[in-house]
Amino acid sequence: MGDFISTSAFWTIWLFVHLILALGLLGALTHQAMAVVFPVRRPATGIVTRFRAVPAAGYTTAVCVLWVLTYFVGAFIYTKYRIYIRIPLEAGHYYKTGGFFDFKEHVSSIGLVLLPAYWYLWKNAQNPQYDNARKGVTIVLALMCWFLFIVGHLLNNTRGFGS
Amino acid sequence: MSTTAQFSSLMASSSKFKTFAIVFSISGPIAYCVIQYLNWPLVTFWPAINRLVWGYEGGLTGQGPNMLWYGWTLSALLVAAVLGFVAVMLPARITDKIPLSLLWILPILSIPYIVYSLMPWWTLAANSH
Repeated sequence: MGDFISTSAFWTIWLFVHLILALGLLGALTHQAMAVVFPVRRPATGIVTRFRAVPAAGYTTAVCVLWVLTYFVGAFIYTKYRIYIRIPLEAGHYYKTGGFFDFKEHVSSIGLVLLPAYWYLWKNAQNPQYDNARKGVTIVLALMCWFLFIVGHLLNNTRGFGS
Repeated sequence: MSTTAQFSSLMASSSKFKTFAIVFSISGPIAYCVIQYLNWPLVTFWPAINRLVWGYEGGLTGQGPNMLWYGWTLSALLVAAVLGFVAVMLPARITDKIPLSLLWILPILSIPYIVYSLMPWWTLAANSH
C-alpha cells in the first residue's frame, strides 16, 4: 500500500467511500419514509410531490445492502478513529463530540438488527396487516440514518478529512 | 427469474422466515442494550496491536485502548439469531400473537437507555466547563 498511496490518503478514501454509501442510503430511506408518511394519491406534480411519489418498495433491498455496506466500511474505519481521532478529542476535552460518536455506533447497530423485519415487511407490502409496522420501522430507520449522517458529518468537521 | 430473485421471493413468502425476521428484529435492540449494560462482548479488539480475543479483555497497560463495540454487536446478533431460530420452532398460534408494533417501539425505547449509558461522556463534558 505504501508504494502506491500514503496511509493518510488510504484512510481518507475509505472515509469518502463511507460518505458516498451513506448518501445513497440517506436518499433511499428518505424517499421511502416520505412515501409512507405522505403517500401520493394523485398524479405527481411539483418536486416535493414527485419526491414522495416514488415506488417505495423498490428501495428495500438497496436500503438493506447499503446499510450493511456503510456499516462494514464504518466499522473498518472505526479502528483508526479509536486511536487517531478519539484520543485527541478526549485530550482536547471534546467530550460531547466523543459521546455523540459512541451514540452513533449504538444507533447503527440497533438499525442493523431491524433490517430483516424491515425487508420482510416491505417485500409483503401488499399485505395491509403490516402497514403500520412497515411505516413505523421505515420512519425509525430513516430518523436513525439522518442522525448517523449528521453526527458523522459533524465529527468529520471536528477531526476527519485531511487530519 | 434470477437465482437471487427466486431466493428473495422464497424468503418473502416463507412463514418461517417471517417469524425469524420479526423475532430477530424485536429482540435485537433489547439484546444489544442488555449486552452493552452487562458488558458481554463476544470479542475484544485492540486496534493499536491488532489483537482480537474472545470475550471481554481490559486493562492491558501500554497496549492502547480496547474496542468493545464489535463484540457487543456480534453478541447481540448471536442472541437475536438464537431467539429467532427458537421462535421458528414454536407453533404459529404463539408467534402470530407477537405485536408487530414492537418492531419500532423497542428501538425508540432503547434510545433513552443509550443516552444514559453514555453518562461518563456527558459528565466529563459538564465538568470541563
